Amino acid sequence: MTDDQIISWLQATLRWGGPLILVAVGEVYSERSGVINVGIEGIMLFGALAGVAISFFTASVLLASIGAMILGAVFGLAFAYLTVSRRTNQVVTGLMFNLVALGGTNLLFATLSETRSVRVNTFPILFPEFLHDIPIIGPVLFRQPVITWIALILPFIAAWVLYRTDWGLNIRAVGDNPQAAATAGLPVIRLKYQTVILSGVFACLGGCALTLGEVGYFASGGMTGGRGFVVLAAVVVGGWDPVKIALACLTFGAADAAQLRFQTTGSAIPYQFLQMLPYLITVAALAGLVGRTKPPKTWGAPYNPADI
Amino acid sequence: MKKPKKRSEFIYFPGLGELALSGLRPLIGIFLGLLAGAVLIALSGANPLDAYSAMLQGALGSPQSVANVLVRASPLLIAGAGVAIGIKAGLWNIGAEGYMYAGAIGAGAVGIALLPVPPIVHVLLAILASVVAGTIWGLIPAYLRAYRGVNEVVTTIMMNYVAIYFVSWMVHEPQSLAEPGSFFPMSKIIAPTAKLPFLMRGSSLHPGFLVGIVACILLFLILRFTHFGFRTRMLGVNPDGSRYAGINVKRQMLLVLFVGAAMGGLAGAFEILGLKQRVFMDFVAGVGYEAVAVALLAGGNPLGVIASALFFSALKAGGATMSIQTGVGAPMTIVIEALCVLFVIAIGYGERKRLERAAKTEEEGEEVNNNDG
Repeated sequence: MTDDQIISWLQATLRWGGPLILVAVGEVYSERSGVINVGIEGIMLFGALAGVAISFFTASVLLASIGAMILGAVFGLAFAYLTVSRRTNQVVTGLMFNLVALGGTNLLFATLSETRSVRVNTFPILFPEFLHDIPIIGPVLFRQPVITWIALILPFIAAWVLYRTDWGLNIRAVGDNPQAAATAGLPVIRLKYQTVILSGVFACLGGCALTLGEVGYFASGGMTGGRGFVVLAAVVVGGWDPVKIALACLTFGAADAAQLRFQTTGSAIPYQFLQMLPYLITVAALAGLVGRTKPPKTWGAPYNPADI
Repeated sequence: MKKPKKRSEFIYFPGLGELALSGLRPLIGIFLGLLAGAVLIALSGANPLDAYSAMLQGALGSPQSVANVLVRASPLLIAGAGVAIGIKAGLWNIGAEGYMYAGAIGAGAVGIALLPVPPIVHVLLAILASVVAGTIWGLIPAYLRAYRGVNEVVTTIMMNYVAIYFVSWMVHEPQSLAEPGSFFPMSKIIAPTAKLPFLMRGSSLHPGFLVGIVACILLFLILRFTHFGFRTRMLGVNPDGSRYAGINVKRQMLLVLFVGAAMGGLAGAFEILGLKQRVFMDFVAGVGYEAVAVALLAGGNPLGVIASALFFSALKAGGATMSIQTGVGAPMTIVIEALCVLFVIAIGYGERKRLERAAKTEEEGEEVNNNDG
């Protein structure tokens, strides 16, 4: 590979990793409270479409992000109602959310035909032009849309909130032992609602980052292409720690960026193996082959206040 | 005291009684799902009644359309039955998508080979290969669940994606299975001896749906009347209790997950040998996840799988006609499907938990609770 190719690959790594990090930041809270939100793939898809649509009609990326996040909160609320209050199976509920999103975005996008031909406003690049010319870090770091920078900073804030605040402690307590948390007087149900809504909000923002990060258009037929599941993988591989998850997201982003390049240039490693990588590493991590990952103790289990 | 206990047993053990009783909740859920779908159709500017009648006509209007429904039902029936037995054992085998890909590769590899054997033998060999391939694909998640306690849901989903990319690799050109020079990545066509016969002229009806229905009935009988079935159900109702009762819980989990994986592989085989005749990249396209929805809608009852698989495939087959006649997009059917399942689980699970709770408090009143300790 030439230097230019390496630089463009690194740049794409951050660009593909950024949306994954955003989605993962929300998902880690939800999973830490015990709820696996498999619906993030679908919620992300809605966020991607909402971002493009709002940006098209208002020409404001800020409004698009806010709008998408509100939509995400609504989906998060619905997911929380079903999985926390109705105690439906989290995975099946999530899979159904994904089906609704796949069909729903296709239907909605068909009515938004005017957005097809235009490239809508995308996230701006904050840093001034002269910084772009610094060798290597110029194009890799500074010629990035603002959302990438948000994605790079957010995991640290998320980790601080999770480990250093009362709210974060409460969430971890709820995920590890909801009965004890309830006995200690914590509002278990409300905390679960909060984290699941958060996962919806960030899933939509991540979807927004996918479409408004650079490309500026939506493609029907599930353009998230399984990235929500990559995020689920990253959360496992990152051991439910926001900063490690962000590193996992960047690694998977790098694999994704490399795979897209290999598809056109060809390589010794079949690009499909790179596509498999996140999922294989996740299975290995769960099997205990890679490091030691311990899921939250009630990971994926419904919480029944009547159980002792 | 005696009466409510009877009722809870009635719910737990699969049988016609359960089907009759549990049949009502899915029906209410489906009705609500269709109602929500009607609202969405109305919002998109079409008359819901017209849309649904077009759908019905598209699904059942002619022998050809019924054949089309049965063709679509085939993988849902076969893979759905495999998921259903998992649900009965309290295991969520979400890997049907991956097993179907694996099974398709197995059946495809044997089917493409020009073997000097009679057609029936060739087909049986291909089917055997698909079952083996599906089971191999289920090996890792099943082992991890049974012996290492790793959540099977996440591993099976991950393996689905590995399967998608594995098949994509297998049907791309340097591999020996791939069709040379094709624009869309796909495998070579299967040998004529491995092709399943069409059952009806002017349609692509293949025997897959019959196999599916037979498999559902067989699994129902196995669950109901064999030791294996009893152990499976017991595992689902009370895993701790099964261990105390001397059941080899790990082995049972492994076997149940293997049955699901093998059925998934079989579903993939019939898609290839009966319908597509080639393995395409991304050819399953979510049918495996739909099989999970089908099994869930049936509450894990294999006989219920027959009904829900036919319902789902009728919805999908009718969707095309609805799209042509009323302008409502065909993706609406996926949304309606998902809404139906969401309504069913939202109603059903709350109800079931309530019953479980009632049964539990009753047990506690009756005898000393020896599960905790």
